[in-house]
Amino acid sequence: MNAPPDVEYRIAHLKERLAAEETGDLGIRIENRGSSVTVIGTVPTAHSRAALMDTVNEELAGLTVHFDVVVAECAAPDHPEEVI
Amino acid sequence: MIRVAAVGDIHMGPDSQGVLRPAFETLGDCADLLLLAGDLTRHGTPDEARVVAREVAGLPVPVVAVLGNHDHHDERPDEVTAVLREAGVQVLEGEGTVVETGGGRVGVAGTKGFGGGFAGRSGGEFGEPLMKEFIRYTRRCADGLRTALEELAGQECAERVALTHFAPVPDTLAGEPLEIYPFLGSYLLAEAIDAAGAGLAVHGHAHAGTEHGMTSGGVPVRNVAQPVIRKAFNIYHLHGDRSGSGGTSAVGRR
Repeated sequence: MNAPPDVEYRIAHLKERLAAEETGDLGIRIENRGSSVTVIGTVPTAHSRAALMDTVNEELAGLTVHFDVVVAECAAPDHPEEVI
Repeated sequence: MIRVAAVGDIHMGPDSQGVLRPAFETLGDCADLLLLAGDLTRHGTPDEARVVAREVAGLPVPVVAVLGNHDHHDERPDEVTAVLREAGVQVLEGEGTVVETGGGRVGVAGTKGFGGGFAGRSGGEFGEPLMKEFIRYTRRCADGLRTALEELAGQECAERVALTHFAPVPDTLAGEPLEIYPFLGSYLLAEAIDAAGAGLAVHGHAHAGTEHGMTSGGVPVRNVAQPVIRKAFNIYHLHGDRSGSGGTSAVGRR
């Protein structure tokens, strides 16, 4: 179980750290869901995903964290949109 | 017909060199130009900008970009711009450019834009100097966009496209927490687009948003943040009949 009330502040500090550090992640959603914290979003590379997870695990040590972080897809589109 | 390829929020760093290049090299077959809707880097360092520059240098189509908030973080936007320009990228801030394509001339007007929120739920020029400056900065961005679109209207463009990083409408933010909408865009950008007219508005910034939206004046808006489109870029075919004057299908556009 997470120990409120400091979890919310730890998440806020984590978000500030993520924005400033190597990965520069502002688009990651980190939410306190009672018994766990969820980390959801898209990152540019597998390297940045690993760096993100390391930082989260370090900053939220002792908490249960569920990750749903995917690496951005880099394929060309297979069809255009007709803007009519 | 004009084929516009667009992507934003590619957030490149040293580890992402070459990731997008294979897809970008197909652009000659499927697009007439590539728009980059800001947040091309992670912290706005010249080193990161050089990664972007190498990724887009020598592509078979012209590349037009605006910077995003990440590209400003290191407080060296002029250096980032210079690095990109050296690679042949047209970087716009409150200005426009015309691209000649096989389907006609395309005018692109660009600004990074800024936040403030959307009509009825927005900040205003009131109170503390910092708050006033927040909104005035957004207004300056919007005014630059409007002026650039108006100037393009006199340059025989088959299409005009508004390129921003911040969102002009809340439609394309759906999926983001409501509480952060004022940090994701401003209605002032949409007001400028509707006043000056455009066939398409493209933005990024909102990673958890959705792709499709529309201004009150009927201009289609597309959020092309890479996490949203889930591709290296998307392609929009414009048919040249949306940015003209009059007509029931172009209400509010001029």
